Amino acid sequence: MSNQDWERVKEALRKPATPEAMQEAAEAYAQYSKVSLGKRNSRPTLVNLGKGTGYPHAVPVDRIPEELATNPEFYNFMKKIVDREKS
Amino acid sequence: MPVSVLMSDFDLPTRSASGFLLRYIAPRVEPIQLYSFFVRRLPFQLSAPQSDIIIGVGHGDKDSFTGQNEAMILEVGKYNPREVKGKMIKLLSCQTGTVLGPDLIANGAKAFLGYVDDYVWVMDSDLAATPWADEMAATSLMPVIDGLNALLDGKTAREAFDTELEGYTRNAGIEEDDLIRSCLEFNHDNAVLLGDPAARVRTRPKIMIPIPPPPIFSPVS
Repeated sequence: MSNQDWERVKEALRKPATPEAMQEAAEAYAQYSKVSLGKRNSRPTLVNLGKGTGYPHAVPVDRIPEELATNPEFYNFMKKIVDREKS
Repeated sequence: MPVSVLMSDFDLPTRSASGFLLRYIAPRVEPIQLYSFFVRRLPFQLSAPQSDIIIGVGHGDKDSFTGQNEAMILEVGKYNPREVKGKMIKLLSCQTGTVLGPDLIANGAKAFLGYVDDYVWVMDSDLAATPWADEMAATSLMPVIDGLNALLDGKTAREAFDTELEGYTRNAGIEEDDLIRSCLEFNHDNAVLLGDPAARVRTRPKIMIPIPPPPIFSPVS
């Protein structure tokens, strides 16, 4: 059921966490989110039970692009969730 | 069967995960339930040795599991083996399956169920007041609940573990959102069972609740 926008997100996250790659991933995710969870009548938030990580415990889905563009730790966190077969 | 349930509740992820335990697990276990402020080291030290199962929700890393406001509960080398010896332990927390889990087994725990990487899911922040009603979070958290119920029903650690994994696979198969599906597959791949897979706890005899009222005897006229 993967769509093209999600494939773009995965492709962008395969690169090392350089500022260019992070920006590309942020843009890809922003495009993807226009047609996914953002449509639901709710406030979806990506959460985790980590401790002492360099990324927040909770990131509203609509703020994922911003976090991807600015936080290399969060970029790598998303990378391991989204693109497990490559990381 | 005495069960220690530790339910931290101080941020969105702990509120969401503990909400599901509060709704689906807490009502069926005997009352050694540490909730919110009471998820701290001292209450845990007092309750754990009396329990057959320890179930915990909290933030964690490779060698520690924490409670309310990240108060330390279990840390490698800093707990009494008496707290874990002979127990089945389930920690809904990040990365505790890498170092802490093996350490708990080495100190006498019968079985450990946890995760070797982060535990992630998507929740609805608008439902923080009623987290158990959150269908988005349920895709990830109900498999955990189903596994715990299997354990409390007397199934083996392996059967309970498989129940949880099957839940992730089933939900991932029907989930339309790519991010949620990725979270389910990620949790599935990182779930780990250590110790004796055949371990099980004795179950209580089933009691029908509510207990029927005593018969009413009307006076014979």
